[in-house]
Amino acid sequence: MKLNYRPILIKTFELVLLVLSFLIIFGPMSSLFLWSIAQKWYWPHPLPQEISFAYWKQALGIEKSLAIGAVSIVPAFFLSLGIAIVTVIIAMALAIPAGYALAKYKIPFGTFVMFLFLMPNAFPQQPIFVNVLQMFTRLGLAGTVPGVIIVHILVGLVFGVWITSATFRSIPPSMEEAARSVGASAPVAFFRITLPLAAPGLLASSVFVFITSLDEFTGTFFVGLPFVHTLPLTLYSSSGYNMQFASVIALILLIPSILFMFLIQRVLKAEYVGGMG
Amino acid sequence: MQVSISATRKGLTVPSYIMLLAPAVTFMLLMYAYPFLASIVRSFLDKSGAFSFENYLKTIDLYTKDIAFTFTVTIFNTVCTAVLAILIAVYFRIRQNRITTILSAIYKLPLFIPFVVVAQMMNSFLAPHGLLNVALAQLGLIDLKQPLQLFNFAGLSFGFLWKQVPFAVLIMHGGFQMIDNSYIEAARSAGAGMGKVITRVLIPMNKSSILVSLVLVYSQIVGTFTLPYMLIGGKIPTTITVDIAHRVNYFRDFGVANALGVFSYLLVLLTAWYYLKTKLGETK
Repeated sequence: MKLNYRPILIKTFELVLLVLSFLIIFGPMSSLFLWSIAQKWYWPHPLPQEISFAYWKQALGIEKSLAIGAVSIVPAFFLSLGIAIVTVIIAMALAIPAGYALAKYKIPFGTFVMFLFLMPNAFPQQPIFVNVLQMFTRLGLAGTVPGVIIVHILVGLVFGVWITSATFRSIPPSMEEAARSVGASAPVAFFRITLPLAAPGLLASSVFVFITSLDEFTGTFFVGLPFVHTLPLTLYSSSGYNMQFASVIALILLIPSILFMFLIQRVLKAEYVGGMG
Repeated sequence: MQVSISATRKGLTVPSYIMLLAPAVTFMLLMYAYPFLASIVRSFLDKSGAFSFENYLKTIDLYTKDIAFTFTVTIFNTVCTAVLAILIAVYFRIRQNRITTILSAIYKLPLFIPFVVVAQMMNSFLAPHGLLNVALAQLGLIDLKQPLQLFNFAGLSFGFLWKQVPFAVLIMHGGFQMIDNSYIEAARSAGAGMGKVITRVLIPMNKSSILVSLVLVYSQIVGTFTLPYMLIGGKIPTTITVDIAHRVNYFRDFGVANALGVFSYLLVLLTAWYYLKTKLGETK
């Protein structure tokens, strides 16, 4: 009897693929984790000789340290959190009406508006930040928290508008029309009918804007330096001389991103997810 | 009193959508359109504000190598992303078992990790004495006295692929899932092998999502600053984005920075045109 080797071959190939994928995805991530707990790690040792959570404790402000680059990240954390919250509030206040208008009205200059909101995805954004820096230097906004917030709104607004307009488009107009036909005014119909229906999409969009702000690096680098030290910038400035410390911050940034994005990814179109960082 | 709906609507339509759009559009005009146009105009102005090609001459003199490097990195990684992502997405489409379930759960992870974290991760993982080199030495594949030097084209590409392949797979995956099984079965019963099914049925039917994902990957690689900045920095050759940062931070030379910016616009001109065309077509 002749044995059929094909299925065995395919299975073996698939298992190799699985192991390889695990190594490629988790290899770099485990490097970050190992560095964050490495008390002593002299090469060529494959693993740290001594591990401890000392760097975590220093970063979180539980223990004080005099090591270079080891400052408490608690202030940077609260600064990033504050900037992200203000960014979400303002960006959504701008995005919700705009998204609604784009979804529900036929706008004569609509193509131009769409074009304006698509451009940042199509072209590199760095030259924008360079010229915003020049503008902000004249206005006295360079190196200030309000300046950084404006840049974060710019980065978040585009995604905010696209996600909210897609959300409003998915709500059948008949719902609002029904409310209007029994005498509700336009604002009442919007706040009582459309807004509650759109809530999950709007929430997902807010979370997305929040995460983009928390992780934003390039715009903050140009507009915020040298005075505004958000979490990503603290990570950058410590990465040169304190590997452990930088790894701790990287892991602290990584956790909310993975957690929140995992929660909202079902609601989002695949395209948006890539626009981060 | 009976109020006609159409009457109230008519009374509201004209001012309301303008009022709804005005704040966001004003913000975008001031903070996006103006800086965008300024970057082009200022690239043609010298220090005194007069029209000149000085910035371009300086850019070509100093940075031709870096512009070529940026272009090579982008093309290489877009092509690699295309091949890898299509293979993975097709594999997810034609095989459904425990292994694909596990894989499709973990492949998205890199997507959710911000570039600044990816940069730090690669910075420690790919270092001469980093985990990758140590692991390869343990396996006896390299000698640690001569570790792989990866803070260059190779390491940068590894970082880009690590982040961009999952992104492309995610977009393509949706498109492949929408192709009905009957097409595949029809092709198979007509005598096509699996290879033919993939190249003649699956890929052509999913052309639009493949193209959009690659266009986005391409323009993101051109515009990414964090990864090359933290991995390669000021070494030669480096990317346009790193040069722009150096021009601004060390020399306060906005003219050359803007000229470099215009070169980065030129690199994405084709993909930007395709992206805007398809997207504007979709929303109509």
